[in-house]
Amino acid sequence: MISKKIYQEAIFNAIKKGSTVISPDVAAAFERAIGKESRPAAKEGLQKTLDSIRLSAKLGNPACPDTGWPIFYFKIGNECQLEGGMMALEEATRNAVRRATKEGFLRATMKHPLTGYDPGDNIGENVPNFTYQFVPGADLEVTYVAKGGGSECFGGTRHRVVAFADGIKGIEKFVIDSFVEATRSGGICPPNVLGIGIGGTANIAANLAKEAACLRTVGSHNPDPQFRKIEEDLYEALNSLGVGIMGIGGDTSVLGVNVEYAYTHIAGICVAISSNCMVARRGSFRVCADGTIQEMTSPDWFVGR
Amino acid sequence: MATYYLKTPLSEQDVTQLKLGDVVYITGDAFTCRSRLHRWVLDENHPLPEAGKQRDLLIHVGPIVLREDGGFKLVSFMPTSSIRFEKWGARAVDEWGLRMIIGKTTMGEETMAMMQKKKCVHVSPQCVSPNSWVQNINITDVELFDELGTIEATWHMTVDKLGPFVVDIDCYGNNLYKNHEHEVDEAREKALEKLGIGTDFEYTKLY
Repeated sequence: MISKKIYQEAIFNAIKKGSTVISPDVAAAFERAIGKESRPAAKEGLQKTLDSIRLSAKLGNPACPDTGWPIFYFKIGNECQLEGGMMALEEATRNAVRRATKEGFLRATMKHPLTGYDPGDNIGENVPNFTYQFVPGADLEVTYVAKGGGSECFGGTRHRVVAFADGIKGIEKFVIDSFVEATRSGGICPPNVLGIGIGGTANIAANLAKEAACLRTVGSHNPDPQFRKIEEDLYEALNSLGVGIMGIGGDTSVLGVNVEYAYTHIAGICVAISSNCMVARRGSFRVCADGTIQEMTSPDWFVGR
Repeated sequence: MATYYLKTPLSEQDVTQLKLGDVVYITGDAFTCRSRLHRWVLDENHPLPEAGKQRDLLIHVGPIVLREDGGFKLVSFMPTSSIRFEKWGARAVDEWGLRMIIGKTTMGEETMAMMQKKKCVHVSPQCVSPNSWVQNINITDVELFDELGTIEATWHMTVDKLGPFVVDIDCYGNNLYKNHEHEVDEAREKALEKLGIGTDFEYTKLY
């Protein structure tokens, strides 16, 4: 039985780490982008961003003040036993979000969609948001994602249904056109990790795109060669656009392109994109059945897909 | 492209000399504003906070601020997207007497026209570096904290060589990003062509 105190601490750790420390794969992607950048203003922008990110890790403050929607992904072992049962997990998460907001690791960003009421602690209807996966074993794994408003609100997340007659061409055109529109004047804070969901209903495609953007490590590939080819072709195509950091022009427009898919209906192929922030933030921790808390460098969300 | 170190209050000359792509560092007094304050003043007809009456540098930002020892501690700062305040932009420039707006992205045609008329510029960050900025900002006061909350309140900021920001709207009706769009659009055609998607490609209409 894992005590509530322990798993609540692991959730808090995931928020704190996710908000303040960038994952090694994202930092490496920044280094590569700085190395190959030919335009001085873009190179300076990337370097200043990385310097600031590194300083946040030292100072323990948020790498970006827009800590966004607090989103949680749980992998729950089939034999996992939690004090208070599974329903207590969500209450523990809300407690951890409240504490992280009070301590300045999260900005009080969530508000009522109509009245604008700000509860001040990022807690409200359907927020934070939870996604669960059930896996073999007795451990609990939690991943916190800070989904910023820039990458979410300015066209970086959208979908379209493409006819089978249009196939891969239709999918790729939608992705490129959408990305161009979303990066006009730097709306979604490029360069981004771009997630793409292909197939399923609109919400399935959108969820896959979000998970591809936020839970896959930069530089990982879809194991299916057909989807890997789409990742590689789009990575090259998008980086040839010259969008650059904050849309001011530069050699790197995406840090990575990750594709996930679901089987679809014979009538059409839903394709969704989801852009992660340039300052892509996530934190993952495992709570073992014996109560030990371990940090994870990757959410391992798609392991065993 | 030149680099300028400017001080508030900004003169007409300070901003009319700026060209698209110039880099600006700014020292002096600023106030902050997001959607809620625009609405509060321009739609709901409340008076403009004192900071807005006295200051000509507006920053579109929702900072993370903690209350500590009776004072305020700025934890994180990154300008937010200006484009979503376009509905209020022209009136804010006109009625609040602004000379410079710092914000992410840019603003639209109406605000640009008013900026040209009133001699005001928009400048935009070329990076996401809250930590370098936090060191250059001192929070001195806040207005409408209870009414609008931490993020939407008007913070009084004294800034010291805050930057670098790129001039993306000048006083002459020009926009840096509009110019850059053409470069991206040309590159997009080439990228699509390389993927075998010609300019004649049309989606099968499903709805």
